[in-house]
Amino acid sequence: MADPSVDVRALSVHFGPVAAVDGVDLTAEAGQSAALLGRNGAGKSTTMRVLAGVVPPTSGFVQVAGWDVRSHPLRVKQAVGYCPDVGGLVPRATPWEHLQLAARLRRMRDWQPRARTMLERFGLDEVAHRVTAGFSHGMGRRLSVVLAAWHDPEVLLLDEPFDGVDPIGVEATLEVVSDARARGACVIVSTHLRELAVQACTTVSVLRGGARVATVPADEMLGEEGARAYRGLLD
Amino acid sequence: MPTAASSTDRWRAVADVGHLVRFRVSSVRWGPLLAGALLFGVLTVGAAVIPAHLDGAGGAGRAFDVTLLLPTVLAGFVLLAAVAAASSAGGRELLAREPAAIHPISPTTDHLGALLLAPFNVAWLVQGWLLLGITAFAVGLDGLVWAQAIAVAWILTATALGQLLAWALEAIRRTRHGILAVRLAALVLCASVVALHLTDRLVDLLDRLPTRWVLLAMLEEGPTLRWLVTLLGTLAVAIVLVVAGAYPAHLAARRPSRDEARVEAESFRPRRDAASDLGTLVRIDRGSVWRAVPMRRGLFVMALGPTLVALLGGLEWSMMTVLPGLVAAGGALLYGVNAWSLDQRGALWRESLPVSPAVVFDARAYVLAEFLVLASLGTLVVAGLRAGIPSPTEVVLLLATLVVVTVQVVGAAMRWSASAPYAVDLRSARSTPAPPAVMLTYALTLALTTTCTGILFSALAELGRWDLALLAAVAMLAWSAERLLRTRRGWLDPAERARVVLAVSA
Repeated sequence: MADPSVDVRALSVHFGPVAAVDGVDLTAEAGQSAALLGRNGAGKSTTMRVLAGVVPPTSGFVQVAGWDVRSHPLRVKQAVGYCPDVGGLVPRATPWEHLQLAARLRRMRDWQPRARTMLERFGLDEVAHRVTAGFSHGMGRRLSVVLAAWHDPEVLLLDEPFDGVDPIGVEATLEVVSDARARGACVIVSTHLRELAVQACTTVSVLRGGARVATVPADEMLGEEGARAYRGLLD
Repeated sequence: MPTAASSTDRWRAVADVGHLVRFRVSSVRWGPLLAGALLFGVLTVGAAVIPAHLDGAGGAGRAFDVTLLLPTVLAGFVLLAAVAAASSAGGRELLAREPAAIHPISPTTDHLGALLLAPFNVAWLVQGWLLLGITAFAVGLDGLVWAQAIAVAWILTATALGQLLAWALEAIRRTRHGILAVRLAALVLCASVVALHLTDRLVDLLDRLPTRWVLLAMLEEGPTLRWLVTLLGTLAVAIVLVVAGAYPAHLAARRPSRDEARVEAESFRPRRDAASDLGTLVRIDRGSVWRAVPMRRGLFVMALGPTLVALLGGLEWSMMTVLPGLVAAGGALLYGVNAWSLDQRGALWRESLPVSPAVVFDARAYVLAEFLVLASLGTLVVAGLRAGIPSPTEVVLLLATLVVVTVQVVGAAMRWSASAPYAVDLRSARSTPAPPAVMLTYALTLALTTTCTGILFSALAELGRWDLALLAAVAMLAWSAERLLRTRRGWLDPAERARVVLAVSA
């Protein structure tokens, strides 16, 4: 059996005396989409930042696309596409300039047609050359998803991609997740929105107090029954 | 609709300033705050006292020449206070716009806060020390205390007047054709000064400035009636100006800022791909700097002040070595002291891109250096218009100073950016890259370092020792470059980098 695309064992991240993540285990295969659910401060975003190579783990084993995040952070960054939970955009750069920067650093050739298609798909083509400082929250979220997904990464990391996004943006994001899975990418979605997490993912992991408390098939979190089960895991 | 606060609102506004100051101070570490306050005190007392002990102070020779300049320096302080406040759209904020939005903070509180923060500006500090120093040298030890009391009262009044003018300008700028009107007015004013200068009438005009009455009170060697009337009169005017400043502040607060809206609505033409990773990063960082309203307005003012002094004062090339340092220090205080905050919340995404952190550091440091060098060079070129053709020694000395202070300032700014990163929104012309108390420490340190460097090279220029200047430049460059490289090595550590990125994107 091939190595999992995301393999996290006993991950801990400490900021001084504060343990943001304390013993998280997580595994996701290629072609699979996994959701991270949990309350504020559960450690979801910090886990995503470790997977993206942005924050180094304090201890534990973290491998992404076959690369250890501690010893090969650059390789990890080449393999992932990351949509951060907050903003994620350079305020005085245009969407086109964001894409140009990513294309250059990811060595993408003839990137312009793909960039145009993605901007159109997310309704951002009209503002492609305006600085992002003037964007609404939803527009910013949509552009962050574009920047994470447009280069077809092996591992797609979406942190709160649906937050404040209109229905068309939500639909486009769900399509992106579905397309990524179809081409064999591994997708991790961190969100507060249980229903959308269930819709987008095959498995759901619930984090509490910096640790994973359960991993269940997504359909077990569906409807009223799923809401009760989720609530039970949070308390 | 009322244009300013009622009496009750006014007292409430004063009380709110106290609440905001306490809130800001509570989040600052006491060590740096006390160090900054101590440094400020020592430098201020030094500027007010030491020149009085120099040879010739209070005498009939050079001291008399300096005394004749005092009315112009006093008037110049008003101009500087107005321009400094106007460049930041009315003055600095006690609380940044985003966190302040949820609180009922009145424009009067905002106005009083801006007044309180006026000294947290390198141009204000340097001009203030210059005024105190010139006063001390002009009057000597006899009557020093009385003269400095008038000088301090004048500084307070000039700051209040500058603040009032700045709010008025900002209120005009925010009208439909306000930006054009203010630019035209500034152009007319500059053209008038140049015309007066070219027709040799500027000196006559400066000699007739009403500030000569303030000078006469300064020259009293004790608490005479004239001294007392001038002191109390100046302080009374200051109080009136502080109260009056709330009116244009309210007017400006009711009108939306057009500068930010203009940048955010503008369409930027896409450019061809850069040839290298460094080139691409430099380009995006450069955009972040030059598209920011506070940087464009601030740099213009930072360069304008020294330029006017040099141009009108007819500085010689050998004395211009102080200019690059002052401009570079002011430029760094616009964003360089918290350089990673340029990306704000985009820092998280940028950090996830596959590029060597060394290249990211190099691009950021290069763009800061470029920003500072351009401003300094612009100032030197304009200031040199009256100074004739420089000798080879002067050229070498100026270039050496420019390179040394740029590396010094970039080194200090990148070091502070890494050691004390802050999440700040640099959209508004009023925003600062760090909390006010921290900015004061940065401003004092940079002003002191760069002024000392400038004075050293100026002295070497006077002696005509370009060889010694080159030697000093090499030694200072080696020291500053090593500190910059140490900061770069720190940035390469993933944990250190994560700390900075998480702080600026918070």
